[in-house]
Amino acid sequence: MNDTIIEFRNVYKDLITQDNNEVIQTTILSDLNFKIQRGEFTSITGPSGSGKTTMLYLMGILDKPTKGTVVLDGQETTALSEEQLAVLRNDKLGFIFQFHFLLPEFSSLENVMMPMLARGKYTYAAAREAAKELLEQVEMGNKLNSKPNQLSGGQQQRVAIARALSNKPKVLLADEPTGNLDSKNSAIVFDLFKKLNEETNQTIIVVTHDEGFAHRTRRILHVIDGRIDYSTNI
Amino acid sequence: MIINRNILYIAFRQLSHRRRQTLLTIGGIGISVMVLISAISLMDGLLQSFTNKIINSAPHIIVSGEKITNPVSDLLYKKDSSSTFMFYKNVERNDEDLIKNYARVENIIYTDPNIKLVSPVLSINVIAKFGIISQPMLVLGIIPKKADAITKFSENMTEGKFDELERSPDAIIIGSSAAKDFQVKVGDRINLVSNFGNTFAVNVVGIFSTGINDVDNNAYANLRLAQNIGNYLPNEVTQLYLRANNLDKISGSAQTIKKNTNYDAKTWEENAASVISLYKTISSMIYFLVFFVLLVAGFGVANILITNVLEKYKDIAILKSFGYKNSEISAIYIIQGMMVAMLGALIGCLLGFIMIQILSSIPITPSQTSSVRSDHLEMGKSPYYFLLTSIFAMIVSFFASLGPSRSASKVNPVDILRGER
Repeated sequence: MNDTIIEFRNVYKDLITQDNNEVIQTTILSDLNFKIQRGEFTSITGPSGSGKTTMLYLMGILDKPTKGTVVLDGQETTALSEEQLAVLRNDKLGFIFQFHFLLPEFSSLENVMMPMLARGKYTYAAAREAAKELLEQVEMGNKLNSKPNQLSGGQQQRVAIARALSNKPKVLLADEPTGNLDSKNSAIVFDLFKKLNEETNQTIIVVTHDEGFAHRTRRILHVIDGRIDYSTNI
Repeated sequence: MIINRNILYIAFRQLSHRRRQTLLTIGGIGISVMVLISAISLMDGLLQSFTNKIINSAPHIIVSGEKITNPVSDLLYKKDSSSTFMFYKNVERNDEDLIKNYARVENIIYTDPNIKLVSPVLSINVIAKFGIISQPMLVLGIIPKKADAITKFSENMTEGKFDELERSPDAIIIGSSAAKDFQVKVGDRINLVSNFGNTFAVNVVGIFSTGINDVDNNAYANLRLAQNIGNYLPNEVTQLYLRANNLDKISGSAQTIKKNTNYDAKTWEENAASVISLYKTISSMIYFLVFFVLLVAGFGVANILITNVLEKYKDIAILKSFGYKNSEISAIYIIQGMMVAMLGALIGCLLGFIMIQILSSIPITPSQTSSVRSDHLEMGKSPYYFLLTSIFAMIVSFFASLGPSRSASKVNPVDILRGER
């Protein structure tokens, strides 16, 4: 079995903006080639505007490259339709963002159930059980019925992590997951990631500013000006 | 696309989260549905009560003495092409519009199995004098038993007895509107002056009210009496009132009668055509205006959905990130529109039902100028008003939700998720 879970082949990403009828083309990523293996715990670092978040969205097939190919779990994604990509995202990926993006009308439990119910893979009862288990795993078992606005920032992020894990994703993608948290909560989030990676061999890719966080992951991809500056295994 | 339960759930929760605006929008739909139902019921009720009264108490077909103009006689055409005729004037005898030897015409008419009853009528114009009042009046000579089967005088007598008409040779019954004009009571004696200047003193033996002003403005006398006053022969009448078994077939019957008798025959629909078309014109104008009320309610639906979409960009982006399809995101907002419409329609149907009850219980002063009189509003009652209006509200809401749902499905998650920084 192929051990590569994500592969970038000659990936370019241009951003086209319009300013005073002038079309401005900015190259964000140019000629990226790299592979991420199953079970890796990788962080992507680099200065602001270096293109690391764009990389993450390309891996998450939320965005499409201008040129080149993104391969996810052995499947080329370039030619897929929006609907097919949605199915693929639901099946293989879990997202965590700097801001939790929990749905405000729903309880913690319901938020975690959302991805499971999207494609009808779970019955309501089964999704409920699984969501409960996940929330207990992130130590939020006592806040099952709380709405997001009743939770602290750290608690919200833990619910978001449980939600990202709900469909047993092949890859967990996190965009500055600790960017909005204090050091205590950042540590909780990191420990969760580490535990997941070690105990279940969960592939995790984290975009982060936090050097301390990055250096405790197993691999760092450092990006400068849309190119990989270096890649180190720790 | 299969709409899974979760989509319904998300749609519902987003709506119930904005309770006040949702309720206002539902109320808007509800009120416009109510107004539409009431308007349809009112207009339909008016038309129905009008046609019912006509069908119940007016002749289905009237055969009148108006001669159908004969075509140029065949005798004028010669085989010989050498002679030419010029047709100068189709001279007709200036006959009165009479049906002569009506018994023979009756027999011809009765050959149509659809005709149940023929009632001969002689209408004459007289000047009626009572006290100081002197006014023209239309007196219709009838054979009481036959005429009663069509107009149901005996059921509509407000004073006196219809049977008296048959018993005494100089009796008349008079419509309530005419009775009011002359201020006559049962037992009064009034004078009728004919075209020839003869005066006939007659007894008022009854007053009736059918609710149709055309009928209630007239007086009715025995056929023989009317023939005397108007100086007609005993076998002459001006009209034959017909009652049919099957209303759907009366236009065919009217055609047959025209052909077989050479007299003009008109169905009740033709006779009332101008009134019916007036009703229909007014109805369609009212529906048109009320339609705009529902359209405004539709804007309300669009408004709440647009607000929902604009406020929920983040939620839409996150739903997409974990695998909700564009079509499912669209469905959320179309479902919201449908939910609002359904609840609004439900409330509107309830309000509409109450409104119909209230309106139909309001007493109104009968007017003498309208063609049909009634002491309260005749509201139409049919489940179709509710069904059609509800479906219509759903259609309006559906179109109102298309725009917002489309813009929701177009949300680019990357823009939104990144935009937070």
